[in-house]
Amino acid sequence: MAAYFRRVLLGAFAVIPALALSPIAIPAVAYAAAPSATAAQGFIKQSGAKLVSIINGPGSSDQKAADLRSLVNNIVAVDQIGKFVLGRYWRVATPSQRSQYMSLFHQTLAYNITTQIRAYKGVTFTVGRVSSGPEGEMVSTVVTRQDQSPAHVQWVVETVGGEPKIVDVVVEGTSLRVTERADYSSVIDDHGGQVTALLDAMKQQLSRMQAG
Amino acid sequence: MGIVMKSVVPLLAVGGLLGGCATPPPQTNAAAYQAYQQQNDPLKPVNKVVYQFDDKLDTYVLKPVALGYIDVTTPGIREHVTYFMRNLLAPGQLLYFMAAGKPRDAGTTLVRFLVNSTVGIGGIFDPARALGYHHVYTDLGLTLAGYGVPEGPYLYLPLFGPSDVRDAFNWPASYFMTPTFPAPPSTGLTIFSDSATTLGLVNLRARLHGTISNIKMTSLDPYATFRSLYRQHRAAQLNEINQRDVATPPAWYPAVQRKAMKHEDYDDNN
Repeated sequence: MAAYFRRVLLGAFAVIPALALSPIAIPAVAYAAAPSATAAQGFIKQSGAKLVSIINGPGSSDQKAADLRSLVNNIVAVDQIGKFVLGRYWRVATPSQRSQYMSLFHQTLAYNITTQIRAYKGVTFTVGRVSSGPEGEMVSTVVTRQDQSPAHVQWVVETVGGEPKIVDVVVEGTSLRVTERADYSSVIDDHGGQVTALLDAMKQQLSRMQAG
Repeated sequence: MGIVMKSVVPLLAVGGLLGGCATPPPQTNAAAYQAYQQQNDPLKPVNKVVYQFDDKLDTYVLKPVALGYIDVTTPGIREHVTYFMRNLLAPGQLLYFMAAGKPRDAGTTLVRFLVNSTVGIGGIFDPARALGYHHVYTDLGLTLAGYGVPEGPYLYLPLFGPSDVRDAFNWPASYFMTPTFPAPPSTGLTIFSDSATTLGLVNLRARLHGTISNIKMTSLDPYATFRSLYRQHRAAQLNEINQRDVATPPAWYPAVQRKAMKHEDYDDNN
């Protein structure tokens, strides 16, 4: 009897992983599932239209920068990207280092948006196909700027907190978050694995950008 | 003296290279060792010296020249220079595509070269694109990659910048495969060839101006950023060639079958 019971129990354990992989179980398990292709495409279309209307619309540069920053916070999963960029050092970092890093990451992003706003004057874009990648839905767009040849940009969309959000931008085959991760982890690696070195470098960069 | 110098200098160079190897972290530190392996940059100390040299050269020579060039040209002119340079590389790329067993891309390159060299006035215009023959790219490194040659350790080359062991000979190879190289030597041709190469280099730097200054401004470690971008870019180029490598529906096939064989990304025009 005991042997039979054990066999049933073991059998149940064996089935659990299979259940977790089955499509029925996924919505319960996945916390960052990909949205449907049409939802992702619609989301990028809508966000892009907002972006273009801010950049090409009336208003002062300061007003535009403020509008852009709030838009970016709405449509981009900044925290997820920040965590990805820190990579394996996220686990090494202390809680205070993590929160300091996140705040620096948000500030850096905000400054990058402000400084690059002039370069994006006259931007237009068209939304193309959607393909499912390992990281989420990849929405292809062609971005055209004044006096520049059109660029192929892909937006990786995931569902974060029940809403579709951008988790990566792939420009001509190069991923923004993978590049950022290489950049940041190189700073940490060069300083013997110290996360503090990265935080110092980010602070220095911020003060440099604020000054210039 | 000459012989001594000739034998000593390479020895010193080799010694410098070996001395310039980065020491890997001990394997007991698993995470650090794995990161070192992933970087795949054992020559980092030497590469960084070359990077500093190229950076200075760029700041004081290439960048000012490129800025002056941007000043005296319009975006339209720069685009036509790009077309012209692409057309000079086309015969070499045709051979690469044939060697790589990519008949479709080889055909595209051949038609582009024939049409653009004649109707496009020596490649200054790109009428082939309007006919549905879009620009395709390859080089020696990508061809070798198709044979399964791994990229090898990262290299930062003097003048040419980011590279790796597999791609190290891309520039010299493309130089030897321009149509002007096998032609009988003449002063006129040399002048043409040298000015074309210089113009191409300045034009390329001008095209990359926005990107390069952006990276230098926003990244914490430009060396590592360029390394990552280079590798991703090469992987994307290779991926593009492989994705395009599908059979062309023969003209005598019935329309239904031709439609079924259509590749949604690359057959928009036929």
